[in-house]
Amino acid sequence: MEFLKSIQVSKFLLLLNVVLSVIYFYCIVAVFPIGNWSLFAVLVLSEAFHVWQVFGFIHTVWYRKREKKFDAHFQPHVAIFITVCGEPEGIIESTVIAAKAMNYPHFSIYILNDGKVANRSNWKEAEIIASKQNVTCITRTIPGGAKAGNINHASALTNEPYIVVFDADHTPKPEFLQETMGYFVDERVAFVQSPQFYKNADVNQVTGGAWEQQALFFGPLLKGKDSVNATFMCGTNMVLRRVALEEVGGMSEKSIAEDFLTSLLVHEKKWKSVYVDKVLAEGLAPEDFLSYYKQQFRWARGSLEILLSHNPLFRRGLTAAQRVQYLASSSYYVSGIIVLINALLPLAYFFFALKPLTINTMTLALIFLPYIFVILYTLQLTSNFTYTFRALSFSLGSSTIYMKALWHTIIRKNNGFAVTSKTKVSGNYGKLVLPHLIYIGLVIAGVAWGVVREGWSASMLSNIAWAFIYIAAFAPFISAAFEGSRKVSSSKNTKLKKMEAPA
Amino acid sequence: MSKWRLFGVYSLLFLMLAFAVSFGLIVFGNTSLRLDEAQSLFQTQRDIPGMLHLVAQDVHVPGYHILLHYWQLLFGQDIYIARIMSLVFFVGTIIMTYVLATYALGRRSIGLFAALLVTISPFMNWYGSEARMYTMLAFMTVLHTYFFVRILKQEGGGRWIFWTLTAILGVYTHYFFIFVLLSEFVSVILLRKKLHGEHAIRNVIIGGVIAGISLLPWLIYVYALGFASNTQPALAEPSAGDLFDTYAQFVFGFQVSAVNTLIISLWPIAVLLAFFALQRSKKEIPIAMTPFVLLATLPVLCAFLISVTIKPFFLSRYLIVALPTLFIFIAWLLTRYRRRIARTVGIILVLVIGVLFTVQAVSPNTPVKENYKDAVAYIDANAGSSDVVVLAAPFTIYPVEYYYKGLAKLTTQPIWDRFNAGSVPAYDPAKVAQETNENVDSYQHAFLMLSYDQGYNAKLKDYYDAHYQRIASHDFSPGLSVYEYKIRYDQPITVAE
Repeated sequence: MEFLKSIQVSKFLLLLNVVLSVIYFYCIVAVFPIGNWSLFAVLVLSEAFHVWQVFGFIHTVWYRKREKKFDAHFQPHVAIFITVCGEPEGIIESTVIAAKAMNYPHFSIYILNDGKVANRSNWKEAEIIASKQNVTCITRTIPGGAKAGNINHASALTNEPYIVVFDADHTPKPEFLQETMGYFVDERVAFVQSPQFYKNADVNQVTGGAWEQQALFFGPLLKGKDSVNATFMCGTNMVLRRVALEEVGGMSEKSIAEDFLTSLLVHEKKWKSVYVDKVLAEGLAPEDFLSYYKQQFRWARGSLEILLSHNPLFRRGLTAAQRVQYLASSSYYVSGIIVLINALLPLAYFFFALKPLTINTMTLALIFLPYIFVILYTLQLTSNFTYTFRALSFSLGSSTIYMKALWHTIIRKNNGFAVTSKTKVSGNYGKLVLPHLIYIGLVIAGVAWGVVREGWSASMLSNIAWAFIYIAAFAPFISAAFEGSRKVSSSKNTKLKKMEAPA
Repeated sequence: MSKWRLFGVYSLLFLMLAFAVSFGLIVFGNTSLRLDEAQSLFQTQRDIPGMLHLVAQDVHVPGYHILLHYWQLLFGQDIYIARIMSLVFFVGTIIMTYVLATYALGRRSIGLFAALLVTISPFMNWYGSEARMYTMLAFMTVLHTYFFVRILKQEGGGRWIFWTLTAILGVYTHYFFIFVLLSEFVSVILLRKKLHGEHAIRNVIIGGVIAGISLLPWLIYVYALGFASNTQPALAEPSAGDLFDTYAQFVFGFQVSAVNTLIISLWPIAVLLAFFALQRSKKEIPIAMTPFVLLATLPVLCAFLISVTIKPFFLSRYLIVALPTLFIFIAWLLTRYRRRIARTVGIILVLVIGVLFTVQAVSPNTPVKENYKDAVAYIDANAGSSDVVVLAAPFTIYPVEYYYKGLAKLTTQPIWDRFNAGSVPAYDPAKVAQETNENVDSYQHAFLMLSYDQGYNAKLKDYYDAHYQRIASHDFSPGLSVYEYKIRYDQPITVAE
């Protein structure tokens, strides 16, 4: 797996990133002459956020060797929880069959059926599968706590000392338990997480984009977090120590990002976490734009909630490195507003000739280009050149989702836990990218307006180039939104094209 | 590679060389002599000691001049002949760029595209037909880099010896070759872990020191002459715009400011192109890319920083050392793109360069054009023995003298006796009236030729305008104008009277 290949980046290069970003920020704040004060203020805010992101990234990928105990002979009894909430029968059954085929002596499989409480018409299918495959099905009848509630409910009814959680669509490989359980020989290890790998990444633009975004996270980022004992649970493909989970009161039901918050609580109690950088299960990415949108919204909402309500800076029990890591992850979704600010700056120039800085565009280039080139190079080097333009596009394009999540978090709007659809929901989701389309329209109008006002000046051309970059970056995201209207396929008969088999 | 494929590669290379040679001989070789070229001819058309004495007072090392001296002895003393020597080095640079890129990066396609970019580069073509050391400097850089890559790849016997020899030749071609050595030294430090058993850092230091020591006699000679620099033009401190302009010139040549603005203001697109180049490529970055990137950037950055902080000497032509590796880098970068994107970007790049190449060649407004030939022809036709020709800046007397066959007296303002040691006198507003009188008082007409503005051409023209009747004015190329003034109304006394 290319995204999991370890590349040890020179510390000189990593430090260079920090130095160049600080120089850039310093020049913006203290050297370059200020133009419009309001724009300058938002620019400084956005650049401060970028510096923080660079620092967070460098902190994450900074190479540190962490000694971890592992004993392949440590083979205690394990409960396999397969969380289900109305997924198609075939998907659940495949996961159960794969779980049964795991090479491990002692484990029991439980289907955690939330279909009934979620009012899914097919909720009985899970029970039929359980009976057919000779595994236990635990069907909840009293709702509450969404996925976390489902796990807690099953946890109370079982007693194995270790719990594995698989989403219904994540089929484990035979070696899953062999590769993970050995870490629990260290009595302070609370949970072990393995990557989420999307086997349907090649199906369409949405699955491709979703996977390519994930690759960065499950590649260098989680590996880096692991080096400072800051790996967090990702909802599936993880093994939990029951004692540790019980010590924090089970999976947290306070957040829709239950895994993220529970990890924080576990780390606060000085437990350890481990990330195994091997693909041990294969899952499904959201296949339609709406499902992707909802998934991103849920992650953003959960993370922002942690930032605002459980800020890692003010929690007790975390190490400094863990604080940095949790803060970096939870604050990532603030980037939505930052992208908006940066994308609007060219418009401010086109329509009102307003600039945050009255500096010669080439002087800005002199400071900016080395900074951005080094960051891009480092990003690609650490991710083994797997971070694609589409991943960038989906990250930038999702800014509207992140902003909505931020707004909902601020006004404390109650958003329920929506399970990501495992099948394609056909449709045209153009309205979800309406802000992006409006942006393109405004750029075209703005360019016309600006050129009439002042001709093709250097500032005008540079701002056009910036706006063009944003449009180019939004393009794959917009295209993915309209893909449903171009290519309608059966929702349940989606053929999965297998990706390169993991080594 | 099959024979036919190889034949195709060499045919393409041959076509490139034919293009460069034909344009050099037919188009660029016949353009007017430029100021710097006049200096080259002035310095090299004398005996070796005399030539060295003059070069030492200039800002250059004597390698090129010595070569040009003997070249002229062999083939003749015309500017056209002198330019052919630069053309030879230009052709050599094209060939060596192909050889270097192919050897370093292992793909003929990269070598061919890099060579193509060098061939159609308006910048290289300009200096490929200028009787100066710049194409020789580019050639020495590529040749030297070739041996450096051999060192990195640890291939080929005697690589350190050839590397050191070419370093010596390089530092005798231009002082800026030191930036090449610096870039290589930094490369070796960065790549030290990959150069097992080569003692690369030690050897680069030894080779660099040997090259430095070889230059020592020349430096001592220059020092003994007191660092006089009587032909050194005043250079302004460079701006960030100049830095990017240098790269724009390397790729797109010398364009009018509107086109330049268009090119360099689109710099944010570079971020997008860089991202495309770095995404999802499983191809390993070749070891030679480290020195290539450093060679393409470090000399320019160092010259910029030194010019800003110590003394301005930032001129794009001095930085030609960065050009071949920049083109190799661009050619390699395209291979990182998906094939369709690479083709599109490559074709667009070649087309844009091609168009701007034509513009540079054809347009009379090309900023670097110095049309002394036509300006002097105009004076020849209009000035008589009772007239005077006043030149500013004073050192422009070299190209004017080359063409001038007229009867009117040639002089400069500020007045400069170039046969006496010492620098060109500075402009002194208090002396303008006296010097103007001295220059023109006894003549019927004065032809004021203004070029190579050193900061006072406009003031001089204003003075003439205020005191004499301007009866004609002509612009011959950007920054080169001739103004004709009526000085006296009495007729000269003739012998017959």
